[in-house]
Amino acid sequence: MRLAIWYAALFILSAGALTLFVYGLLARALEARDHQALETLLSRYAAQFQRAGLPGLRRVLEVDAAEGRNERLLIRVTDGTTAVVYSAEPPGWSDSDTLALERSRNGDSRWVRIPKTPDAVLEVGTVLFDNGVSLQVGRTSRARAEVLEYFRARAFEFGLVVAMIAIAGGVLINYAGLAPVRSLEATVRSIVETGRFDARVAATASRDPLDTLGGQINVMLSRIETLVNGMRGALDNVAHDLRTPLTRFRNVAEQALVSDDPAAMRDGLGRALEEADRVNATLNALIDISEAETGTMRLASEPVNLTTVVDEAMALHADEAEEKGIVLESSVPSSVVLTGDRTRLRQVLANLIENAVKYTNTGGRVTVTAEGAAGEVRVSVRDTGIGISETDAPHVWDRLYRADASRSVRGLGLGLSLVKAIVEAHGGRVELTSIPGKGSTFTVVLPTAAQ
Amino acid sequence: MRVLVVEDDSSIAEFVAAGLRQEGFAVDVADNGVDGLELARTQPYDAAVVDVMLPRLDGLSLVTALRRADVGVPVLFLSARHSVDDRVRGLQTGGDDYLTKPFAFPELLARVQALTRRGHLSLEPTQLTVGDLHVDRLTRKVDRGGTPIELRPREFALLEYLMRHQGKVVSKTMIVSHIWDYSFDTGTNAVDVLVHRLRDKIDRSFEPKLLQTVRGVGYVLKVG
Repeated sequence: MRLAIWYAALFILSAGALTLFVYGLLARALEARDHQALETLLSRYAAQFQRAGLPGLRRVLEVDAAEGRNERLLIRVTDGTTAVVYSAEPPGWSDSDTLALERSRNGDSRWVRIPKTPDAVLEVGTVLFDNGVSLQVGRTSRARAEVLEYFRARAFEFGLVVAMIAIAGGVLINYAGLAPVRSLEATVRSIVETGRFDARVAATASRDPLDTLGGQINVMLSRIETLVNGMRGALDNVAHDLRTPLTRFRNVAEQALVSDDPAAMRDGLGRALEEADRVNATLNALIDISEAETGTMRLASEPVNLTTVVDEAMALHADEAEEKGIVLESSVPSSVVLTGDRTRLRQVLANLIENAVKYTNTGGRVTVTAEGAAGEVRVSVRDTGIGISETDAPHVWDRLYRADASRSVRGLGLGLSLVKAIVEAHGGRVELTSIPGKGSTFTVVLPTAAQ
Repeated sequence: MRVLVVEDDSSIAEFVAAGLRQEGFAVDVADNGVDGLELARTQPYDAAVVDVMLPRLDGLSLVTALRRADVGVPVLFLSARHSVDDRVRGLQTGGDDYLTKPFAFPELLARVQALTRRGHLSLEPTQLTVGDLHVDRLTRKVDRGGTPIELRPREFALLEYLMRHQGKVVSKTMIVSHIWDYSFDTGTNAVDVLVHRLRDKIDRSFEPKLLQTVRGVGYVLKVG
């Protein structure tokens, strides 16, 4: 509504200003023209006086009067004294006018205006000659006043039309111009009321702020949807992923209860405790994954030396690799520094190395390499293990996905989904190439600058 | 030694209290923050175990109030909350240590003992012995029944740690924080592998087996 009123007001004001301007110009032009006419006449008569003196002037004036040329004009000529030598008065002349005229003859200004009627003045031009003779020619401004009056009347009518157009325009703006905002508002309201975060606002490709607003609202809705789905998904996963170890826990405890052998009971209780720890570890991993996926994980943003992180991750599994007779080695340039969360990045590498060691047999080899290129770092963990089939490959990053060949190896199955979530939260991506029977290479690509 | 336990879950509170009493502590229990604050202000305690989430007055506010009243009792926070920020905030409000649930009792005990030991500088012996296993901390030499044993640095660190806690169960988490100086989730079996290697060296060809596994809790080094 405010927009419409502003528009109407502005429209009317500009139309008004324009009209006033034109009126002023017109008035001035008409006035100038009238003055010009009088000037011409004055100089003509003055020239005549110069040539032929008073008598000559008088003769010309009478001739002109007879021909009817100066019908509407006032002409007065006085000689050296104040005696009037010639006088022609237009219709409507009165004594007070004469008095005013006398006064003006002695005044300083060449042009004099004598108010006659409310809307017209008498404009008189005066020429004083050396010997005291004065020549005055004047005309009423009635004619031009009539023109201006005509203009004013039309302008008023015009103003009414303008006002109507302004109001109509305002209403139109309110309607059509604000239509996108109204539609936006309606869509958002329906989303809020129905709680459906998968609805979107209709957006066009234009760069108009109203349309880009729609686009931004859609981005926001996507974000909310991700968060809500992420949380719903997390809850679903928690329920599912925890129930298995809890079931095992229950079974083991039940078994211990019905046993008569104290040693077996003790053993059962111990195993129950292990399952409880596993539930806790699963819970932590699930929370981590959920946070990383919805972008709510608190990640530090500090310079991280890649070599140090790789060495620390390797130290965790060096013993295990040795036990299995696997060579664990790294080849990482020493100057690579990235921005990210040190603890989480170490977690990523430790997870990848752990998998590599787990799925590689005795005599195998696990190698960690890194190379930097154009603002990113590629860290690869290559193993000579059992490999992953083409059908399994895209799914290894899913939660709890265990490819058939891996079911015999213990673990939680959450490691890779957490790796993917943390890497993506750093603005990076994960890659996998693998040949069943030969080995796999897991690659993590990370940006060197903060995201 | 007197310890205050402020925990609203009665089962956990009783578990902790009973465990501490078994270790020779006198224990008082409060089940909400207001009573806990009252007790802590009016009685002298050597340590306090305070749950972060409590009815009537939460743990962090309780400790803030204590510190403002100039009560310096060492505090161990217990929390089920996940994020690192909570840990930091707990320590910033005036707590001395922070333990997340679920916890293994030996770990809580070790931390409470560390809190009460402050101010009592105990001299650490340079020679450690369990059964016929002998460790010289100065020369880093290890032998069993006279037979020298070669240990790698991490294996030595683990053995030394177990011997210092000899007879007491040590949890995996405690081992992790002592051997590696960065945290990692115990989903990995680095600890298992290390224990296995150590056991191999000090127990395999000897009797009796000193390094024992207490299922679900941790490991202990003791005779019999």
